[in-house]
Amino acid sequence: MADHQNNLQNHSDKTSPLIEARGVRKTYSFGAVPVEVLSGADLIVHPGEWVAVLGSSGSGKSTLLHLLGGLDRPDKNGGEICFDGQPISVSHGKRLDGYRNKDIGFVFQFYHLLPELSVFENAMLPGMVGNWLTNRSEARKSASKLLDSFGLSHRLAHRPGQLSGGERQRVAIARALVNSPRVLLADEPTGNLDAKTGEGILDLLAQRHANGLTLIMVTHDPAVAARATRVVKLANGCVVQSSASE
Amino acid sequence: MCVAMVVTVVSVMTGFLDMLKNSGRQIVGDVIVSSGIAGLPYSDEFLVDLKGLKDVQGATPLIDTIGLLRMPYPRGNQKEVTHVQVWAVDPISLATVTDYANDLYWKPAENAAAAKEMAEDDPRKNLSEKILTDGKTLIQSKTGNPGIALGIHVSIGNERQRDGSYRPRYGWFMPENDVTLTVVPVSSQGKIAEPREQIFPVVNEVQTGIYEVDHNRIYIPLKEGQRLLRLDEAPLYDLNAEPDGQGRYPVIGTTPARVTKILVRAKQGVSANSLRAQVETAYASFSKRINADPTRNASMPDFVNVLTWEQQLRDLIAPVEKEREMMRVLFSLIYLVCAGLILSIFWSIVIEKTRDIGILRSVGASRLGVMWIFLRYGLVIGVLGSALGVLLAWLVVRNINAIHEAIGSDAPPTIWIGSFVLTGFFAIGLLYSIWRGKLLRILLWLLATLVMGLIATFLALHHGTLIWDPSVYYFTSVPDQVDWITAWTTAIGGVVFSVIGAAIPASKAADIDPVEALRYG
Ligand SMILES: Nc1ncnc2c1ncn2[C@@H]1O[C@H](COP(=O)(O)OP(=O)(O)O)[C@@H](O)[C@H]1O
Ligand SMILES: [Mg+2]
Repeated sequence: MADHQNNLQNHSDKTSPLIEARGVRKTYSFGAVPVEVLSGADLIVHPGEWVAVLGSSGSGKSTLLHLLGGLDRPDKNGGEICFDGQPISVSHGKRLDGYRNKDIGFVFQFYHLLPELSVFENAMLPGMVGNWLTNRSEARKSASKLLDSFGLSHRLAHRPGQLSGGERQRVAIARALVNSPRVLLADEPTGNLDAKTGEGILDLLAQRHANGLTLIMVTHDPAVAARATRVVKLANGCVVQSSASE
Repeated sequence: MCVAMVVTVVSVMTGFLDMLKNSGRQIVGDVIVSSGIAGLPYSDEFLVDLKGLKDVQGATPLIDTIGLLRMPYPRGNQKEVTHVQVWAVDPISLATVTDYANDLYWKPAENAAAAKEMAEDDPRKNLSEKILTDGKTLIQSKTGNPGIALGIHVSIGNERQRDGSYRPRYGWFMPENDVTLTVVPVSSQGKIAEPREQIFPVVNEVQTGIYEVDHNRIYIPLKEGQRLLRLDEAPLYDLNAEPDGQGRYPVIGTTPARVTKILVRAKQGVSANSLRAQVETAYASFSKRINADPTRNASMPDFVNVLTWEQQLRDLIAPVEKEREMMRVLFSLIYLVCAGLILSIFWSIVIEKTRDIGILRSVGASRLGVMWIFLRYGLVIGVLGSALGVLLAWLVVRNINAIHEAIGSDAPPTIWIGSFVLTGFFAIGLLYSIWRGKLLRILLWLLATLVMGLIATFLALHHGTLIWDPSVYYFTSVPDQVDWITAWTTAIGGVVFSVIGAAIPASKAADIDPVEALRYG
């Protein structure tokens, strides 16, 4: 197992980074008082890596992940984020939408499924909201395959409200993966689950990682972070590099 | 709903206007030449001139005056006398200018099928063709005497049936009776002469469809009118010469007969306005010719009114037109209400669904995509609403006379008894829901029971009221044609306003920031 991961690591070192964040700043203002949550964070993630960002609550982990996922933008002159060599922080409009839709998958702590849609519809959502040319039958196939492999094939017609937390998170992961993105961004994917269920989710992520998926995961729990191939710490708005978990 | 209202009201009013205009043309032709009370001499020659114009379909002379008509039936202890508008006409040429011949009401059925349509007791079933020809010539063929045609509502004798046909009331079938017409001749100096009266046999009755006309107008032959009103050909005396032994002045010629109006009908496709101009020039050159002719014993009046039928009927048409525009504006305000309704409903949906919209954005939905979701609903609502509205309006307008009749008659017992039975069922539902103890259900059943009970009571107590009273409105039936231009503009307006109403919440939805929306679980 370790060998395998080392191979991947070595392999990725030779390739160019998949995600590259340099000097990222993000400031929120509470009324008149500006609070700099990120003050020049750097993070480089190579293809095939599983990076865990470890930090205490309120340290800016979610903020960083939102920026990486194109859900939010850094401050003006607040650094640059590149995906596959292309800056995303300056792109806007359609390109950012496409980036969220195709290039990355996002998993939230609170699942964020649409309550009116069935499990299956939720899972294929990115395949439906993309541009007009999105191939729906492909999304359908992909969604049913993913849900099947996550052990949810008997739940397809259920509403999210009828599922347990662990099942919901698995639906959310299926949704994040339905358009075959190259990176999965997970914000405290186990934060809302009991330890055992959380383990199940992490096993699932590990399996995806073994299949070649790049993962960036945010957590405040060192035990969870330990599942990753590399752990970085977020403190005082900066990323403190630490060695790979081995 | 809004669309249905606008379309219905405007359609009826437009139909009403069209009817008014159409029948206006059918009744007075396209262009009316009218002179003062002294009349136009040499009308025969002028008519020849007019008929020579290339755009003229036909022209007819007439005398338009007022008179009193003594009816054969009593009112109190006298015979009823009613005032009428007298049209002394040449019925043959009148039929080429107006719909006179078609408007004659009493005629036998055209064919067996039409006869079958008629009710058993319809007097028209037993009429001979003669009554129609008598009406068309204004001559009673039995005696050869000049006859009179009455507007169908002039006498009390005609009772309108639900199917629009007439039955003699109190046994007064007018074409078997004589009436006495009294008119007052007026000299060219404007002096009133001794009133003159004449008995006419009624030969037929006329239904133009405009109540104002059918209630007032009677038709007599032109010759009779000219004679009664002293507008006929008369000997011209030389008042400067010595009178003879009996005080008579020598005759030096005749003055020509006169008419007071000439109605002109345009050929198909010629506008009344262009015809009016032609007629005006024709008159100018004609009067110049006559007045320059020293052998003539009468001169043409310098000034005659040449009006199109629209100008002539301005007083009738203008108020209705204004009313319709008022209605259009008022009802268009409903649009704003609709748009506002959609706006507020969608707005609250957007607020409530902020998190879900954030999710959509986070999985890659574009701002336009999110906006489109709401615009699409607005569009669907608008299209659906407009389509339903137009459909409803179409149904209502097409059946408006039937609906009017239904309102105008007692509700059939089966319907109101049925409503009471339904009320009973609702009451049972109410009791059941009280037993179950669900508050909202109790309230809904209570409402249903009360409303149904009210409807049933109303139906049971309802005794017909005719909204469209033919004595108030000009027409004897309600227009039932949908005004499609209005329908389309209203429908498109409905769609546009729905989309506008949806656009504001849609833009708000598009502006939702995914991170903000997803921040808290
Ligand atoms: N939209 C915002 N407006 C103001 N402050 C914010 C906003 N989002 C996050 N913050 C603040 O930034 C800090 C970091 O938040 P977050 O990235 O969610 O931390 P973590 O995910 O590490 O718990 C917190 O103090 C939080 O209150
Ligand atoms: Mg967080």
